[in-house]
Amino acid sequence: MDKKNSFLKRFRLHAGLFLVALILPLVVTEFWVHVFTEILILGLFASAFNLIFGYMGQLSFGQAAYYGIGAYTTGLLMVKLQWPLFVCLPASMITAGIGALILGYFCVKLRGIYFAILTMAFGQFVFFIIFQWYSFTGGDNGLQGINPPVWLFKANAYYYFSLAVVTIGMILLYIITESPFGYTMKAIRDNTERTEFIGINVQRYMLINFVISGMFCGLAGALWGPFNRSVAPDLCSWQNSGHPVFMAVMGGPHHFLGPMIGSVIFTFLNAFVTGFTEYWPLVSGLVMIIVVLLMPGGLFGIIKSKGYFSPRNVGDVKNE
Amino acid sequence: MELTFLFSQFMSGLTYGLMLFLVASGLSLIFGVMNILNFAHATFWLIGAYICFTFWSLMEAHQFALWVSIPLAALATAAFGWVCEVVLIKRIYKRELHEQLLITYAMALILGDLIKIIWGPTDRLIVRPSIIQKPIHLFGAPIDSYFIFVILIGFAVAIGLWWFLKYTKYGHIVKAAVFSREMVGALGIPIPKIYTWVFTLGIFIAGLAGGVQSAIGSVTLGMDTNIIIQAFCVVVIGGFGSLMGTLVGSLIVGEVFSFAILYWPDGAMVLIFVITAAILIVRPWGLFGTPLRA
Repeated sequence: MDKKNSFLKRFRLHAGLFLVALILPLVVTEFWVHVFTEILILGLFASAFNLIFGYMGQLSFGQAAYYGIGAYTTGLLMVKLQWPLFVCLPASMITAGIGALILGYFCVKLRGIYFAILTMAFGQFVFFIIFQWYSFTGGDNGLQGINPPVWLFKANAYYYFSLAVVTIGMILLYIITESPFGYTMKAIRDNTERTEFIGINVQRYMLINFVISGMFCGLAGALWGPFNRSVAPDLCSWQNSGHPVFMAVMGGPHHFLGPMIGSVIFTFLNAFVTGFTEYWPLVSGLVMIIVVLLMPGGLFGIIKSKGYFSPRNVGDVKNE
Repeated sequence: MELTFLFSQFMSGLTYGLMLFLVASGLSLIFGVMNILNFAHATFWLIGAYICFTFWSLMEAHQFALWVSIPLAALATAAFGWVCEVVLIKRIYKRELHEQLLITYAMALILGDLIKIIWGPTDRLIVRPSIIQKPIHLFGAPIDSYFIFVILIGFAVAIGLWWFLKYTKYGHIVKAAVFSREMVGALGIPIPKIYTWVFTLGIFIAGLAGGVQSAIGSVTLGMDTNIIIQAFCVVVIGGFGSLMGTLVGSLIVGEVFSFAILYWPDGAMVLIFVITAAILIVRPWGLFGTPLRA
């Protein structure tokens, strides 16, 4: 197989999805363009979360904190200082990264259930700071009037802008996961002790990964504010931390695109269900239970077990 | 500040702490034995509160209404918990951590909406029986007499659980199952049955706590989401599966919250998370836990 061919084969799913994403907003109503924008943003959020969950093997229940820090950074910079959106996005990544560095320093000392609870406690910590700090964050009123620049006002325009940012983000994430660093993370996930024995500073690698994940969560959050025209402290709540977990589990945490596919299902379902009932938590809870009980490995796990096509998996030892 | 005032603040912290203990002890028991961190635990607590309200409103005219409603609510919640265990929790014993967390998280979402469907969005308020409407004066400080009742119930459950684990045969089995479930299973003790009853016992305590809570203030949708995080904090501070630790952890959180709200109202909640994080970092297994289970 020549190189070009194998490249196409390897990325046909990614390229196909990208093409669909390019064409879709031209053929649907504005409502669905909004839904697709949401899918992109939450998909980036879930993919960033999956760096910790799928690649590092730890469950973080507090990623909404970094999502919220990113959203608030962009919101505050745009509302209070009128910074242009282009500067706000990297600024949000930096603040979220700093937040993840400070809190992650403590989190990566723990494993398993303790890791999950500490990330959750820190998530609530960030939530309450934002919630209580009225003079700075607006408290539970949130921040209003986060208007994107005029040329991004139309739903389609903001969609393509998000698509560009998310695509760049996803490519960067992909490069990171396929790099020696990414493979070290998989090694840590599969056998932490052995990885330590070959001379790798596991805690430092986990911290770096935590920071990268936080930065991309922050980027996703930064896209959310101008899209929604406002931010609220709920973005940081532990319920919001549960969403990327669900998306990753639903799509399949052992495939790079799993969380993004999870976001497609989750957001579609949300838009569809909230159209005729207010009981979205009930429905999403039922879907969650069905997915966890009947679909181990998520959607990609099922596709793989049926052998429709064999996506490159991210290094599940059993399957290689 | 006056001493009597500090004393009454201490008593309200004690009440809050023991209420947390009632929620967290079941959580800790279930995690200690079954290794399942039950996200929906506080939702069962809220269900208990609503059921208590319903029983109370049926017997509203009578003085004894509340005293009968609380145990009835505990029993009804426990029965419901038993059903949930048999139908759902049973299937996830051997699953991974994130799957157990997601399932119980999904349960919390579903049960929260079921509460909304059954009881509606309006707040519910129980009128206390006249016997506990007037405050009691202790050391010159007026103490809500219902608080005394809550404190008594909290300590009674603590002592009851301690006695159960220390002196009864089933308590011994439960404690043994914490350390080595394979060995207990090998001795011919049906582990799944033990799990079912431990879960039901945990939910019973949660239902009891909900019943007690229902007369403290109004019963409101979404009360559970706040207290579950605090209960996690309590369990982490005290150490998973340690009864003594859960009690100490709840009292710490209750008192810290009660006094912090006086001096630094905005930071009270944040302070609890700071304490939890500090303990987790220094002693991930908690104050009274053992490193073995970390």
